[in-house]
Order: sequence, then structure tokens, then C-alpha cells
Amino acid sequence: MGTVFVENLKALFDAVSAERELYIPKNAGAHYVYKLYRPDEEAVFNEVRVCTPIKEFLFPIRELAAVFPQEEDQFEVKPFAVFGLKDCDLRSIEILDNVFKEDDFKDPLYISRREKMFIIASDCTEPAENCFCYLFGGKSWAEKGFDMNVSPVEGGFLVESGSDTGNDFLAKAHFAQVQPGQIAQRDENRKKADQILAENNAKFKLDRPVQEIVEGADGEQLYTAQAEGCVECQACTRVCPTCHCFYLQDTKLKDYYGKMKMWDSCMRMSYAAVAGGENPRKAISERIKHRLLHKFSYYLQRYGINMCVGCGRCIDAESGKMDLRRLLRELNDEVNRK
Amino acid sequence: MTQHKNPYKPIDAEVIDIIDESPTIKSFVLKPAEPIPFKAGQFVELTLPGSGEAPFTPSSSPSQKETMEISIMKAGRVTGQLHDIPKGTTLGIRGPLGNGYPLDKFAGKQVYIVGGGVGLAPIRSLFLALVERKNDFAGIVCRYGARTPEDFIYKHTTFNEWPNIDGVNMKLTADQGNDQWKHNVGVVTTILSPDDVKINNSVAVVCGPPIMMKFVTLKLLEFGFKAEQIYLSMEKNMSCGIGMCGHCMIGKYYVCKDGPVFTYDQIKDYPKIWE
Repeated sequence: MGTVFVENLKALFDAVSAERELYIPKNAGAHYVYKLYRPDEEAVFNEVRVCTPIKEFLFPIRELAAVFPQEEDQFEVKPFAVFGLKDCDLRSIEILDNVFKEDDFKDPLYISRREKMFIIASDCTEPAENCFCYLFGGKSWAEKGFDMNVSPVEGGFLVESGSDTGNDFLAKAHFAQVQPGQIAQRDENRKKADQILAENNAKFKLDRPVQEIVEGADGEQLYTAQAEGCVECQACTRVCPTCHCFYLQDTKLKDYYGKMKMWDSCMRMSYAAVAGGENPRKAISERIKHRLLHKFSYYLQRYGINMCVGCGRCIDAESGKMDLRRLLRELNDEVNRK
Repeated sequence: MTQHKNPYKPIDAEVIDIIDESPTIKSFVLKPAEPIPFKAGQFVELTLPGSGEAPFTPSSSPSQKETMEISIMKAGRVTGQLHDIPKGTTLGIRGPLGNGYPLDKFAGKQVYIVGGGVGLAPIRSLFLALVERKNDFAGIVCRYGARTPEDFIYKHTTFNEWPNIDGVNMKLTADQGNDQWKHNVGVVTTILSPDDVKINNSVAVVCGPPIMMKFVTLKLLEFGFKAEQIYLSMEKNMSCGIGMCGHCMIGKYYVCKDGPVFTYDQIKDYPKIWE
């Protein structure tokens, strides 16, 4: 897999968007959001992840999952590319893949999009204050899971291919060769960003595997205290790139019936309620605990990895005062005291 | 199967008969557009087109191929609307889903079935499957309760036919009896005895309302049943039915995919399993 040099992102974006729709980050106040790239658009390098979760591209907020009777399902997805995914974003896709591509049942909507998605990752050069990927083995740059990866260097960007599709693209695009010293410069930049992550998260470092902490801590007082500040806005689950709960809603369309697949949230009061009225998680504290157990125990037992990438979006979006890092650290301390 | 068969898409199923079972329960005889081969204890998602979908375990024998029977208690919005549909309505059906009862593991053993209320629906399917190959088992012992004699479902068969089947031992109870009621009065645990089966060569199958399942399980443990001998049919709010949407989770398990049948041993350490 090769690496090339481009002077500006516009050259790269124009080449990519000639073949497929390209989504790029756009400044929106203090954050970035995605929008469709047009050649007259300014090409911005996002130094940190966008504020919305990447799952939106693969698992939209609301989509028609099935029409019946008779109608054939149409999952025609046009090839598309997304620029600016960070290591945390790529790991979130791996987590969703496990769920939606598991062997016995597959989600055809997710898979159609996944197959058509061309991933252009980029180094995270200025991790945000709330980023805590570092606590869960993440870092400021990605080694795998992308078709191409972009790293800023002096005077331009290095573009590395990470898949056959990425390789083919670079082979056709005829970009410049890498200059001596540029790789070393890139590696130096990466080291600096990793250093920022390590420093920002030093005080949240956990003393044992997170699974042992969430399983070992009773946490009742801590979860109850968290619940007192929670306004049940569900923003934490919406912006989370790994949360994937949904519900199916039946609708009547013009000439047929449909099932809409829509994001849901385990933080919602009636999420786990059954028709007879029983509800195992009436209290907010029970829902917070379930969410943590799902992320750091249940998912891990099933798929071998944690269901959190430490992107910190939940902390950014939080209307109350919940900080997942702090909560985990407090649970850690509770286990230590045992 | 096509490469990405759509698991969210139901097939048509015509309602060819509706039977009033009790004041709150009706049985629907469905004829799906294509047969849905299932194992006793597996479930299906039934769609009232344009309105909603809910999970149900068929009550008919798995060997009955062309039609499928589903008993539905009026409990919420969708079940309420289903109670109002006429014969001839076309519903949607997805399935079969979940694991079902492991009949091969039951072979050679006494099967101790404890059911309550509408919980008899999945148990009827199991019962019929067991009876069809009853020589494979050391006996079928049934204990079944409902709130009042009126609330029993499948009245004709449970009262008259099943108790007379060779190899079947059956007892009934109602929480409150009436003048004609000849059987026990009391909750279902009052007709359970450690002498009902040879505990070390049996499996227990429990299905009913959560509170009943809880107390029956505790009673069975008291009798000396091991947690791994007790099979529970856990009916949570399954939505997608394929282990993705998250609604029905009990700990690490998706009830829709890893269940709905679990041994008590599998789930006993998770919080609030009976709610």
C-alpha cells in the first residue's frame, strides 16, 4: 500500500468527488458537521472528529426497512465517500459491523451502505478536551479500517492507501511522490497528538480492565447521583457512534405498508417495558447502569471488544453533568476500596 | 436464500379462524403464504399492517405445517387492535425466531411442565410435540393454573382430552374456583410437589406471567431442582427479533436470539429478570 503527497485537499476532494458523492466536515460553531462536497466549496481539514456520529452514514436516524406486501425491497445505494474519520470513528464502525453483519442474520440496509462507503480517514492533530480514546487503546491516528488516510505535513498532506480500492484510486490519480523527511514529520506530529491525549486523560486512568470495574462495582450511590443530574434527553445515546438501539415502526404508505427502522435509546423510560406494563429499568440510575454494562461487559462478552471508543461525544452533548470518564474513574475507586 | 434476505420484511398470513378462549384471550388460526417450519418454543413477530408488531409463540404443533395457531392476550395497543380484527384479515408474519425448547436434551427424562394463564400457549406447542414422540421421554407431568376457571385457555383439550392421554399426568388449579370447579383452588405452586417427578431424571419447563415464573422457579429450587434443569420461556419486548435492536436484553443475552428459552442457570445472576 503506497503513500503520496498532495499540496491541498481540494485536489484530493475533486478527484474523489469525480467518482462518487463525497461528504466533508464543515465548520458549525465550535464543531464540525458533515455536508456534501461541491467543487466550489472550501476544503477544510478537521483537526478533530466531527460532532455527529459516523453511524448516520450506515444506519440513518430513520429509514424504510421493509415494504409489504409484494413490493420488492430496493436498497440501491450509490457509492459514496466520507472524509475526516478519526481512529475512534473507524473503531466505531468495527463495533457496528459486529452487530449488523453477524452471521445468522444480516441487516441488508446496513450492509448495502457499508459496501458502498469509501473511507478517507485523517490524523487527529488536536484532540479535544473531552476525547478519551486513550483510555481504551485508541490513538490519534489510524492503522487500519480505512481506504485512504490523510496526514497533514508542512506544505500539504500525505495520503496513504489502506485497501485495494484506495490503492487503485491513488494509482489512477497521479499525485506527487512523498518527499524525504515527510514521513518522519508525520510521525512526529502523531507523537505530539498522542501526548496530548495521554496528558488530558492522566487523571482518568483506570487501575484495572473496565469490565472488572463495571461488573465489580455495586455503584448504586454513584448511579443514583448521576441520575439526579440526568434530564433524560437521550443525547448521549444519539451522538454515541456505537449505540445502535432501534425500533421498528409500522406505517401505512400510499399503496403499501412499511416498517420504519428508527433510532431508539435505552435511556428512554419505556424502552424495556413490555405490553403487560412490567419494566425492569424504571429508575434512571438502572438505565445508566445498564448502558455501562452493555458497553463494557455484555458487548465485550459477545464480541470480544468494548462498545465504547472514547470519542467523548457523549460528554460534549450532555445536558446534565455526566462525564463517562469521571463516572468510570469513580466506579474504579469504589472497586479499589472493596 | 438471496444474498441479503431482508429479515425485517414480513410475509402475508391470512386469519382463517378466530377462537374465543377466555374473556381476554383469543386464538388466531393463520395460514401463512408459505409454511413457516418452527420448533416448539420459537416465536414469530406478527404485524398488523400499518399499525404495529408484537412477538408471539405459536401454540400449535410444529408438525402442523399449513396453518399456525397463535393465542393472544389483550395486553397493550397492538394486542387490543388484534382482538378487533375479523376473520379473513391479512396479517404479516416474520419468523421463526429464537431457539425453542431443546427436545433432544429432554430425551429419556420426565418433562415437568408448569404453566400459568396465557403461558399455556407455548406450552401447548411443546406438549403436542412431546406427545407426538412420547416414547422418547420418561413421562409428561403437567401442572397448570389460571386465575379463574373462565381464564383457562384451550378449555376442551386441557379439561377433557389431555388428562386422558396415556403417559400424561395432569393437575389443574384456579386461584379462585366456582361451584362447578372440581379441581384445586389456589395458585399454581399449591399443586406442585417434590414427588411429582423423579427430580434427578427430569427437566422442568415453566411459562407464565413473570410473578408466577418467579415463585415456581423458587419452589422448584426448594424441591432440589438444579438451576440448569429449569427451562424458562422469557417473553421480553422483542422488536427486531434478530439480536440487534437491544430492547429484549437480559444481561449479555438477546432474548430474541439467544432465547426465548433459557435455563435459570443462564440468567439467574442478572438484575430484575422477572420484571
